[in-house]
Amino acid sequence: MIAADKVASDVASHFDRMKSEGCSFADARLYDEDSSQRLVLYDGNLESNTSSIERGLGVRVLKDGAWGFAATADLAAVAACFDRALSNARAAAHLPGFPKDMGLPQPTTGSYRSPVQKDPFEVPLAEKLAFLKGIDATLEDKTIAQRIVWAAFQRRKIIYWNTEGTEVDRWVSNVFATMMAMAPDKDGRTHRRSVELHGDGTGTRGWEWLTEPKWFSGHADRIKSELAEVLAADPLPPGRRDLIILPGQGFLQVHETIGHALELDRILGYELSYAGGSHVRPEMIGKLRYGSEKLNCRAGKHQNSPGTFGFDDEGTPQRDYMLIDGGVLVNVLSSRTDLGEANELAGREVFTESGSAARATSFYRTPIDRMTNISIDPGNDGTLDDIIAATEDGIIVDVPVSWSIGSNREHFHFGTEIAWEVRDGKKTRVHKNPTYQGHTLEFWRSLDMVGDQSTWCLQQVANCGKGEPNQVMQLGHGVPVLRFKNVQTGEKE
Amino acid sequence: MLESRIRDLLLAARKEALNRGLNAEFSLHRERSNLIRLGNSSVALSTYEELTRLDVSVQDGRKVGSYGLTADITSEGQLLEALERAAENCSAALPKDYDPIFAQVEEAIDDSSGFDPELESLSAEAKTALCKQVVDGLKPKGKYDFSGSWSSGSAEMYMTSTANENEAYRHLTDSRFVMVLKEQDKKWELSVERTAKALGAFSAEDVVAEFATLLPVYEGNQPYATETGRLRVLFGPQAIAQLLSLALWGGFFGRTWEEKRSYTAGNKPGDKLFSELVTIVDDPSHPDVFGMPFDFNGLRRRPFTVVERGVFKALLYDSMAAAKYKKRPTGHDLSNTDFVLSPGTGEPGIAGGLDAAGDALYIPHLHYIHMPDPTKGLFTGSSRFNAIRVQGGRFTQPMVSTRVTDTSPSVFSNITTMSSRSVSQNESNTYGRREPEAMSVPEWMLCDNVRITDVADSF
Repeated sequence: MIAADKVASDVASHFDRMKSEGCSFADARLYDEDSSQRLVLYDGNLESNTSSIERGLGVRVLKDGAWGFAATADLAAVAACFDRALSNARAAAHLPGFPKDMGLPQPTTGSYRSPVQKDPFEVPLAEKLAFLKGIDATLEDKTIAQRIVWAAFQRRKIIYWNTEGTEVDRWVSNVFATMMAMAPDKDGRTHRRSVELHGDGTGTRGWEWLTEPKWFSGHADRIKSELAEVLAADPLPPGRRDLIILPGQGFLQVHETIGHALELDRILGYELSYAGGSHVRPEMIGKLRYGSEKLNCRAGKHQNSPGTFGFDDEGTPQRDYMLIDGGVLVNVLSSRTDLGEANELAGREVFTESGSAARATSFYRTPIDRMTNISIDPGNDGTLDDIIAATEDGIIVDVPVSWSIGSNREHFHFGTEIAWEVRDGKKTRVHKNPTYQGHTLEFWRSLDMVGDQSTWCLQQVANCGKGEPNQVMQLGHGVPVLRFKNVQTGEKE
Repeated sequence: MLESRIRDLLLAARKEALNRGLNAEFSLHRERSNLIRLGNSSVALSTYEELTRLDVSVQDGRKVGSYGLTADITSEGQLLEALERAAENCSAALPKDYDPIFAQVEEAIDDSSGFDPELESLSAEAKTALCKQVVDGLKPKGKYDFSGSWSSGSAEMYMTSTANENEAYRHLTDSRFVMVLKEQDKKWELSVERTAKALGAFSAEDVVAEFATLLPVYEGNQPYATETGRLRVLFGPQAIAQLLSLALWGGFFGRTWEEKRSYTAGNKPGDKLFSELVTIVDDPSHPDVFGMPFDFNGLRRRPFTVVERGVFKALLYDSMAAAKYKKRPTGHDLSNTDFVLSPGTGEPGIAGGLDAAGDALYIPHLHYIHMPDPTKGLFTGSSRFNAIRVQGGRFTQPMVSTRVTDTSPSVFSNITTMSSRSVSQNESNTYGRREPEAMSVPEWMLCDNVRITDVADSF
């Protein structure tokens, strides 16, 4: 196996060569180790018991305002990889647009380690399976038709270099887990209730986090009993009413209608043929009322989150900054490369520095603009009980079942696992088959209550898809309880 | 057949597994992929990846463990280590409560019929040149920006196991071209898409001509926001493929049917489910699809009818569901299937669809389609590119983003007519490895009483 030091020296020599070829910038990411493991218990049967490892190099070259990228798992072929990236950049430059530009050099050195007490990859497989089996046993019941318990672990050792002298090494660890119970109602329609490993954004993210009952295993009995309520419930009647969103659903509302809409590559049209565009335009920064004044959304740096990674895949130290401040759009998710284009489109300098959101999913994918931790700040409208007490006619929803969003993120439709009716300040009964829909700006402008810190929860996203070639990314959303006024809920027929 | 250097290593590993008394399967995927990404009328990115992935699975009675490796395969030691890791995972596994089916390559397969070396080596320069022709041909005619992507490359898939000496191998090339034209002020978006198995399947002139047929409707007419309710919809190829995919996923997978989680759970083979116009076959021999000849349980894939003239014929069982529910696996241990929705009898060409439709909504693309309730087949998604109001058999106004929320049984029961001509609709993604997938669908499908639930104020 070719050592990382040898790759580093090869990369350095080829950086010199790329500069002599007229490249304005080049970078390289060595995934010295990219380990993953996925364990799935389905009705108690171990249906996935897979571990894997990837190792390789991704090289990016900027020449004449165009990017070329190449990747190889053959670390004896670093020269060929650079050659291919250079050739690709030259080809791309034959159809030029606004020249890609990294701005002023920002040489950085540093390292990052995800906070981990007990590395999951050091935990014996048998111990992991025993833990998951214990949860499965809790879910097992004659009223439950299907049970799913799964966990996934990632450990990535990534070394990044660029022609500006940046050298950053990172050891990024992730743990994801879900439990789900399913059962049919009296009409034979299957319903489900689930919970994912979540947290409060603090602490460590190793095996110790997964095994802390508060954040995962301790919810098994609750989802069983809530599923029983759903099975006995009536469908949600359609109508306009207030909507209280718990963090288990709120994270996806933020993800789909704020996070993706604020990715600069989508805003500039680079994702149009696949993921879609955005209703946001660069000139709207600082002017667009995205939501009510209750809405404060940031790209955060929570200690314990898959959206926290120290440095992005351009070597930029991760920043914590507001995206929406008092309801007004003030920033977007960006990397270094498109700021000039965005400023020109805006007709003024709206972006002065990278949003440290350049992220790649593996050594064989190039960095693109990505979510990090897109979180809503806690508000001052009290606890969940306070918000319920202030609601005359509404529902509380939790955990997505389906999500469908317009291609420019301008409208949406969500289905959730459960809804609780709220009447005259009291949580009354459960409804099944809840759905709601709306238009993004109108919806966020109807936000009228934001729960306090006691309601704030960090939810993980293990599989956000975007980009061509396609990439899956891990990130986080911290969300308090949110209340929206007069939302269309339920299906009319 | 797979390059002998790697094949010999795999066969040596298989021999070692036999010597150790292990039931082991080996599958290898190798790809060479090139993609250019367009944005704002420029090629903003050009990528190349050459990747080899090895998957090893070991089964011991009711216990199974697997290990995957993405690396340059250079030594027997790598394969033996992967075998050892898979064996360790198997050893520590929990036994299932049923007998899993061990992979066995049913018959030797060596299929390179879908491989075109010229397409594999299609250069980024050549792609850029074609895109430049399209941009140069249309950009001066309006305030247009172009986005898109063009992915091409080759994939090799190989598998063998200790069950016998057979090997299955497939080598193919594929290409997917998508170009989006966006009007800078009015914000509407048009799309043209091409799928190819070999070089030279389309030209810049084709693409320009297709954009040119749609542009007058968009340039010369106000946007149309339809009322909600049940309306007549003329679906186009991408939307049909999305609807078909959802109908299959929600209704015809053995596991969800057995668990009564599908909208067909109350039905059995022989029941009438859809319009008699609907016949759905997973047919790897069809010319419109990429045609995967084997699955990763080792079965030879043959045409498999799911729905015939609206009647439920069969369910799809992968080896896991088949073992669990004591059924025969149907060749569906794979992600890249080859579904064909048989064409109808309508006049070919979009003109035939417009004539048949009279007044309707033309929705050729559905974006972000999802199922809030699979047990009803309830889906929702919104229109995207090229959506146009049809009046009196003519395209009249571009449509703003429009949401369709209906059920699969309803849509496939309310088909009134379909084009007699089929097209290949590329359904590939590259989230994992390069696995080309396409569906064959009629170029248009006319449905009555489709439920429209929301209309946006923008495209």
